[in-house]
Amino acid sequence: MKFTKLTCAIALGTVFGAAAALAEYPERAINMVIPYGAGGATDISARTIAEPLGNAVGKPLIMANVTGAGGATGSVTVQNAKADGYTMLFARVGSHSVNPAMKATLPYTLDDFRFVTVYEINPVACAVTPASGINSMDDLIAKVAEGGVSYSSSGVGSLLHLAGAMVLKEFGVEDPLTAATHIPQKGGGAAATAVLNGTATFLCTNSSALASFVANGQLKPLMVTTAEPVVGFDAPTANELGKDRLNQLVGWTGIAGPAGLPDDVAGKWGEWMAAATQDTKFNETMTARGSVIRLMDPVEANEFIEGQYNVFRALVDELGMRIEG
Amino acid sequence: MSFVDSLMAGLSVVASFEAFFALFAGICIGVVGGAIPGLSATMAVALTLPFTFSLQPITGILLLLGVYKGGIFGGSIPAILIKTPGTPASSATILDGHPMAERGEAGRALGMALWASCTADVVSNLALILFAGWLASFALNFGPPEFFALILFSLTIIAGVSGDSLLRGALSALLGLLLATVGLDLVYGTNRFTFGDPNMMGGLNFIAVLIGLFAIPEIIAMAWNPTAHLGKARALGHTKVSFADYRRSFKSIIRGSFIGVFLGSIPGIGAAPSAFLSYSEARRKSPNKENFGKGEIEGVAASEAGNNGVAGATLIPLLALGVPGDVITAIIIGAFMIHGLQPGPMMFILNVDIIYGLFIGLIVSSVFLFIVGSVAIKGFRFVADVPKRILMPAVLVLCIYGVFAVNNNIFDVGVMFAMGWVGYGMLRYQIPAAPFLIAFILGPLLEDNFRQSMLMSSSDPAILLRGPITWFFWALTLITIIAIVRNIGKRAGA
Repeated sequence: MKFTKLTCAIALGTVFGAAAALAEYPERAINMVIPYGAGGATDISARTIAEPLGNAVGKPLIMANVTGAGGATGSVTVQNAKADGYTMLFARVGSHSVNPAMKATLPYTLDDFRFVTVYEINPVACAVTPASGINSMDDLIAKVAEGGVSYSSSGVGSLLHLAGAMVLKEFGVEDPLTAATHIPQKGGGAAATAVLNGTATFLCTNSSALASFVANGQLKPLMVTTAEPVVGFDAPTANELGKDRLNQLVGWTGIAGPAGLPDDVAGKWGEWMAAATQDTKFNETMTARGSVIRLMDPVEANEFIEGQYNVFRALVDELGMRIEG
Repeated sequence: MSFVDSLMAGLSVVASFEAFFALFAGICIGVVGGAIPGLSATMAVALTLPFTFSLQPITGILLLLGVYKGGIFGGSIPAILIKTPGTPASSATILDGHPMAERGEAGRALGMALWASCTADVVSNLALILFAGWLASFALNFGPPEFFALILFSLTIIAGVSGDSLLRGALSALLGLLLATVGLDLVYGTNRFTFGDPNMMGGLNFIAVLIGLFAIPEIIAMAWNPTAHLGKARALGHTKVSFADYRRSFKSIIRGSFIGVFLGSIPGIGAAPSAFLSYSEARRKSPNKENFGKGEIEGVAASEAGNNGVAGATLIPLLALGVPGDVITAIIIGAFMIHGLQPGPMMFILNVDIIYGLFIGLIVSSVFLFIVGSVAIKGFRFVADVPKRILMPAVLVLCIYGVFAVNNNIFDVGVMFAMGWVGYGMLRYQIPAAPFLIAFILGPLLEDNFRQSMLMSSSDPAILLRGPITWFFWALTLITIIAIVRNIGKRAGA
């Protein structure tokens, strides 16, 4: 009897030992850092994918919001983490293409991360209040020439900050930084409020952040930056206005690990994301919020972000928007 | 649709067991979450958010609102019992709540906190239901110059919470203003006082500063001199609030509720300044001014009315404009969006059932809050009986966990301890902590709105006087300053 027990124990031990030796990534829970606050676009996106993704991974995903400094605090956490695939980051357009392009002071660069996927694209739209009397981009540009036009953003180095300047530049405003005033606010909600109460003339931001204001008739969209029209936005696309270059100006959410992430780990993430984005509920929720689900594999994701970064960086250098010191 | 139809439509979505259960559960979670130092109402709401994704929209939103309201009240429990605000909004409650607990009147203070909270909650909910549209359009008149004037006026609160020495209060406020400048510059995005550390780029974490300033000095003092409190009549909290107390403080409660409604309906201010403003107004109007800060029950009533008055009113900009008024409503708006609801004027037409469902839920929530709060007080009151040498280490552990959990960042725990020593130094030299806190909250708002105004006007200061709202607050500021100066003169003469 005793002997049997012992054999069982040894046998079990061998099985577990073998399993440990053969253990594949992931053998324990994965920490997922969300560098923005609860209830924001990144947070909702991350928590919506968490469920189908968790099923695909087969281990728990521990979601943690590490907020501050426009996504930098959370990004640094992952930058400094061990590149073993157990600490991953929900990267966002603001933290990983606008910020690196604009801020010389940022404690990280794109090279410090390895992207395993981009799964969501958010069209950008520009909007004004109906009371402003501005009905088209042409009206807005004419107003800029008169002077006194301003735009709000969720802070220096945010997508909104860059978008305002980039759109004006593309529409032929020579020096958008002096022709229009940038009025930074703290957060996306405050940026929209600033336009609503007349503090700023217009803002360009993710269509999902504007959808409710547009549906409620509080804000009037002038343009969307995608090639395809955006549902609920009665406004021309950038391509219809002949500004194809603005197609680069979109928001996105992706997942990244520290730079040294091994290939097999990145490959795993590619498979998991392919499975997770098939989930119907995930698709429904995200599309209802105005996101476009577009899954990129690790190679494509890196190219996409690199491409967007270069466009932004060129613009920043041309306009002298880079923040030093 | 007539009012009755709307009401019936609302009832049809809300009249389910789940909806009311969610509300009740939310309030319970909130009260407990708020009562744990470090685990603020904001965090309790953020932690609950993912659970609402799979619920019916109205059930999920009521759950979050329950947590919010419960959390704001729950924060007053540790504020009174262990001098640690459970949530930033209850910092003002410490000023008089804790001295009462030290006197052995914890039960009375807690009871008053609950009564004032529920009264303010009712007023706030009624304001939301009756005047949402009107208050929202008023709030839209608040641009940066109006904000600047309002915040400038609010800074005069410092005089009201400085205790005996205005100079010490001003010193404390200056220190708060200084530390609030750490982080990224709003307009240029450059680093300020970050010393190259990425952890400092986001500024000093508010909860870490708050806990460090209030809870840690008590713990250090305890460790320094473990027997100092022995022999003092601390035990225990069997005293109860009486109706006479309530009637005496009623005016302050109503005034605090209105201050809460007013500040809550303007996006971007939040509950803590409202509580302090309500407190300092109550002190100014009270015949026993001298008692404030030494355990005056009216001070507890005013603070709690001020912060709970905000709770319903922050939904005004959210529902009527689609704009989040503070951090918590920014999380709640996420819950609306995840369910495909678009808060704003059209919601009152398209989703009238949900709007009225929420209204019904909110009214019921005040009753639930009273019930849950009464039970919580009965339970938590005995914390006052726990010997300090056992209580304090437990509080320390909770504080460390709580502050770490806010941002999952060990650096914040360091900030808490550093601020703890600052707070201890201030305690030793009788420098009041409340002015520090007010300056730390209001300083960045003051600066941001000033600089936004200057951007709007191309640096023409005339914009700061651009309309009746700014004139009103400038006038109030002037009158208050004159009153303060005269008061000092009188004291010096006496």
